[in-house]
Amino acid sequence: MRRELSINHLSRVEGHGAVNILFENERLKEIRLRFTEGPRFFEFITRERLYSEIPKIVSRICGICYVSHRLASAFAVEDAFGVKVPKTVELLRRLLVVGEFLESHALHLYFLALPDYMGYPGAIQMAKDYPNIVKRGFKIKEVGNRIMKLIGGKTVHGENILVGGFASVPQKESLERVGNDLRALIPELEATLSLFDSLDYPEFESDVPVSVSLDSRDVTEFSDLVVTSDGERFTRKEYELFVKEEVASYSTAKISRLNGKPFVIGPLARVNLKGGALHPAVREEMSLLKTKFPSKNSFYNNVARAVELLNAAYRGVEIVEELLESDLESFNASVEPVEGTGYGVKEAPRGTLYHRYSFSKDGHCTGANIITPTAQLQSAVEEDLKNLVESYSSVSDRELKKLAEMLVRAYDP
Amino acid sequence: MVKVGVMGLTGCSGCQCEILNCEDAINRLIGRVEFSYFPLAQDSNGFSDFDILFVEGSVSTELDREKLIEGRKRAKILVAVGTCSCYGGVQSQRNDEASLEEMLRAVYGEKRPEVRVFKPAPLSEVVEVDYELPGCPMDKKQFVYTVASLLNGVEPFFPKIPVCHECKLSENECLLLNGIPCQGPVSFSGCGAPCTAQGVGCQGCRGNCDFPNFEELLSIYDRLGLKGEDAVRFLKVFRGKTLPKLKERSVDEKGA
Repeated sequence: MRRELSINHLSRVEGHGAVNILFENERLKEIRLRFTEGPRFFEFITRERLYSEIPKIVSRICGICYVSHRLASAFAVEDAFGVKVPKTVELLRRLLVVGEFLESHALHLYFLALPDYMGYPGAIQMAKDYPNIVKRGFKIKEVGNRIMKLIGGKTVHGENILVGGFASVPQKESLERVGNDLRALIPELEATLSLFDSLDYPEFESDVPVSVSLDSRDVTEFSDLVVTSDGERFTRKEYELFVKEEVASYSTAKISRLNGKPFVIGPLARVNLKGGALHPAVREEMSLLKTKFPSKNSFYNNVARAVELLNAAYRGVEIVEELLESDLESFNASVEPVEGTGYGVKEAPRGTLYHRYSFSKDGHCTGANIITPTAQLQSAVEEDLKNLVESYSSVSDRELKKLAEMLVRAYDP
Repeated sequence: MVKVGVMGLTGCSGCQCEILNCEDAINRLIGRVEFSYFPLAQDSNGFSDFDILFVEGSVSTELDREKLIEGRKRAKILVAVGTCSCYGGVQSQRNDEASLEEMLRAVYGEKRPEVRVFKPAPLSEVVEVDYELPGCPMDKKQFVYTVASLLNGVEPFFPKIPVCHECKLSENECLLLNGIPCQGPVSFSGCGAPCTAQGVGCQGCRGNCDFPNFEELLSIYDRLGLKGEDAVRFLKVFRGKTLPKLKERSVDEKGA
């Protein structure tokens, strides 16, 4: 006998996804997580374009994590041309990342994830009964948006994030205001962390064998080195040797494996691997939590996200202080195209992403490869779904569907 | 209660995020407006009749097409939000340079996804669109203005004047005079010129203003060192099909 459970349109996720679970004679036969998003041909539309056009084009891969795509592509172009950016550029880029994480993680936690745990279809409906909680979500997003607008020029797809640096930089007074905004946000983020720590998450233990993250102290710093929970280390140039993509006929996102195995990236993977390097004040908060890290419960991605939010604010304050003492006049490097290939890696809110571009000697793109977090997470999420269906075999179809949705959502794919 | 839907086709969700950034407006709309369909933000998305349906993204798959056609049937007013839905978006910038087959091969190699895909197209190629709010992303002030107008039975109005006008109002220095390629003179304003205010040339993400003079702009670019095909491609990123062919030819003659 065949029984099929389908979620044809996953709601409260960015993009378009569907889950199909097929049982035969009461046994799980197949699980598919399908991304039905139309292809946008980024590897094709970047070709023949000038290097300076690349960050602008690939920004459009994701309206929520565009800072990451812009920076990863800028890193790759700078790598190809041997460009070294001044300290101020690096600091401003790090501050942009603080803004990006505040906006993306707050959007996910308050608007996409929380309604499940509070029993509402969405945050708009939740606002009637819990206006202050929803307001807090808006407030965190707003601070993140302000930072991205101040440095990038717009809240979404800021065009001032360029290869080599920026076309202009904020005034010191504006940066001081950012510092004050971030300091004032810390109590809100502490409240966020205790809220998400206090929720009832389903019991679950993931079987996904490997966790992957960049080797930086935390997401507000950059690194060219990738580390795994297996103790493997590789550079951005070796990324495609380790992470292999294949096309699955049922999904428009490609499927990636690391040494042939599914792997996890994202907030929980990062906190599990590098939690010890977070800001001391954050580590202190973490020691008081009900949730313990490292953890194999994928639903704790939500708590890890709240941890990263608080950490972003603390690091943001430090970055602003450093910026106020640095030379704001030096905000871009000169860029001279040379023939060659460059690589960029970056921790986006939902996980590690990778960009590679080749250029002709006059700076035209001759080839590109982009590996997004969604593609890399696909096989891990499928693995987790399989595990979920097996561990919750006695619950009703309705409950199982709900759990499956919450699990996919926890990854914010 | 006014029924509003927000539908996403193929895009980056950036415009839907801008809708979620309209905190004040959303708070004021609660009680007057029911979001009966908004899958990015909520479950239980009924596909009933809409007073206003906002649609983001390009039409790139069979599913996009079906959803759009069904949405059109049920919507009194259909508003395209963002450059993907108005002109096809960045994903359509090379539609005229290659076949769908070539585009697919560059991304997927020899295998093909099961989903039936098309070359990315704007909504207006498939259904009738009542209003277009271009921009990458669309401007949230314009979104709020549109919602407010429609709720009050007022026709929203978007003058297609160039971005230069907004630069003058903001007292921004002219970037073209400073040697920076800028698309302001040929681009549809309404954004408040945030990019030029930061010293970055307008990228034309909102498409064409009325009576754009591409030839003259291309000759200025040429003098600034942005030449031939590179200059045309710079103009094409967001305009796709709306960049007139005629102008391209005249540059080819001059440039190449």
